[in-house]
Amino acid sequence: MSHDPAAHTTAPARRCPDVPHHAWYAAATTEEVGRTPLARRVLGTPVALYRTSDGAAVALEDRCAHRPVPLSDGRVDGDDIVAAYTGFRYAPDGRCVGVPTQVQVPFGAAVRCFPVHDDGSFVWVWAGDPRLAALRPAPDTSWLRDPAWSTFGGAWETGASIALLLDNFADITHVAHVDPEIAPLALGAAPPPLQVTVTETTMRFARDYPPAPLADWNAQVLELPADAAHAQREEGEFVAPGLWVDRWHVYVEGHGDADGTHSFVFTHALTPVDERTTRHVWRVSRNFTPSAAAEGTLAPIFERYYGRVRDVLETMQRVVDVDGPRPEVRVAADAAASAVRRIVERLVAEETGTR
Amino acid sequence: MTTTSVGTVVTELETDVVVSAVRRLATDVVELTLAAPDGRPLAPWTPGAHVDLLLGDDLVRQYSLCSSPADPTAYRVAVLRTPDSRGGSIAVHALAEGAPLRIRGPRNNFALLSAPRYAFVAGGIGITPLLPMIEEAEAAGADWHLFYGGRSRASMAYLAELEKYAGCVTLVPQDEAGMLDLDTIVGTPDPGRLVYCCGPEPLLNAVEERCASWPHGSLHLERFAAKEVEREGEDETFEIVLQRSGLTLTVAPDATVFQTMRDAGVSVLGSCLEGICGTCETGVLEGEVDHRDSVLDPDEQAEMDCMMVCVSRCRGDRLVLDA
Repeated sequence: MSHDPAAHTTAPARRCPDVPHHAWYAAATTEEVGRTPLARRVLGTPVALYRTSDGAAVALEDRCAHRPVPLSDGRVDGDDIVAAYTGFRYAPDGRCVGVPTQVQVPFGAAVRCFPVHDDGSFVWVWAGDPRLAALRPAPDTSWLRDPAWSTFGGAWETGASIALLLDNFADITHVAHVDPEIAPLALGAAPPPLQVTVTETTMRFARDYPPAPLADWNAQVLELPADAAHAQREEGEFVAPGLWVDRWHVYVEGHGDADGTHSFVFTHALTPVDERTTRHVWRVSRNFTPSAAAEGTLAPIFERYYGRVRDVLETMQRVVDVDGPRPEVRVAADAAASAVRRIVERLVAEETGTR
Repeated sequence: MTTTSVGTVVTELETDVVVSAVRRLATDVVELTLAAPDGRPLAPWTPGAHVDLLLGDDLVRQYSLCSSPADPTAYRVAVLRTPDSRGGSIAVHALAEGAPLRIRGPRNNFALLSAPRYAFVAGGIGITPLLPMIEEAEAAGADWHLFYGGRSRASMAYLAELEKYAGCVTLVPQDEAGMLDLDTIVGTPDPGRLVYCCGPEPLLNAVEERCASWPHGSLHLERFAAKEVEREGEDETFEIVLQRSGLTLTVAPDATVFQTMRDAGVSVLGSCLEGICGTCETGVLEGEVDHRDSVLDPDEQAEMDCMMVCVSRCRGDRLVLDA
């Protein structure tokens, strides 16, 4: 057996090879990160998150440089994190600043430090080349902190690649099959023309629906008669590799005080955990009926719907894992998904230099 | 059975902006800063990207973004006034601060691929797309050098901005130092080094010629005018199968693939219709393309996985497209 000293210096194989690494991913929500270390995984790399004494979020590779113990099993002390078992102490920039058994800190001992951006909703982590993080602003989700919007949501890991999640969001006409009860009645007829709008790094789509009655739950929270018809608009947006935003607008006219544009914003922060697991934080925001009673009606409906989406995506991942990928028949409604795939492929080619 | 129109329409993002600042950079060069009227973030982009400025009826021109992708609130473009041009630069030079403007994009056919070493070669106003590339190469710790030629120092934009990179920049004003010495700059193949070049057509052709012996994929060019393409014989009729739309169409000798698709109600993006801007790039699933564009490099053309449908045709009698 050979012992190759170069093996220690060779960069490990790129994990999640088909996913942009030079991108911001929401490793955690702002409230999840505190003075107790939090363990997460981003692009296959374990990440420990905590806050310094002045509240700044820190993300370090979650593995002590001395022995393979997670830093997140340790404790936060002042601004530093001290690994359990080894007692190695790391500063917020990842440098080892103390070891228990000698005065001299081993030269160059450090763990990776990831650029972070805490926007008050999410702690975005940059797991690509840290030197490029400053050149790519983190995506904006300011409506989540806007008092004009009422928001609830959930979070979990979906046992499917981020590509399967993006494909799903790019074509939500599946909703009628996944969860007939939640599906807007407007989706029932043949869908109106799909309008897709692209830039170098983003894709938006929209469909304008002629007046149609609302689903029962939607009429109920809007306090409108169940059979009244309203024009509606569906929008979806690939904002960045780690952020998808959908919107549903109901245009109410002729109902007195209820008139106006009543909108849902559905925020999906997607973080590749590894090749076949994706962290999915979803938020449902609305600019109408802020009451707790309305949330009591809406929350279980969306929890169930997104749970069913998770289940079907996990089934797809299992099929691909067991039987392998296959060329897919494409349809016109795939224009949005195709545009997103091209953006993602291009971003990967740029950062790996393999075009 | 008749084919029902699927109705999918794909367009590029158009954004209304205002000219928030105008700066004279050099002789005949003006820089415009463009921002959303409400100051909201503009669409993100990466180095090498450009936008269309919609300057009037049938007056659409492409200009590289030369600001930093780090600033999401503004785009900057710098435009050389060329009296003998097709009118775009004169319209841009007439814009004043506060002027409303509609833009389309950004899009990018000149993307910066990650590499350990770069040679950036700029001729005149061709410096613009290279500025954000330099910022990124510097941030990534790459070994890079800029060779920047122009008529005279007074005509060369962004010299002040480049001062901080002294040592990595060679300025070659023609009235002081003659022409860029391309034999020295790119005359010898340097595997692992990527060459990014933007400037007037003679410079691009001269660099292209010298880089012919470099490893495939080393050279990246941005053209602002269509490349001369040699034609062999008359254009022929061929068939296109649009897989997603489920349509089979015939492209007549005097029609383009783009026009044939549009006439059949199939949504396909188009902008310059001269094979320069890359907007109409369409995936090719089967068949041999007769590439006539100025966007794809020879390696990309040889892959036969995409084509610019506004100008390119078919070498055989059938293409299957992802459309």
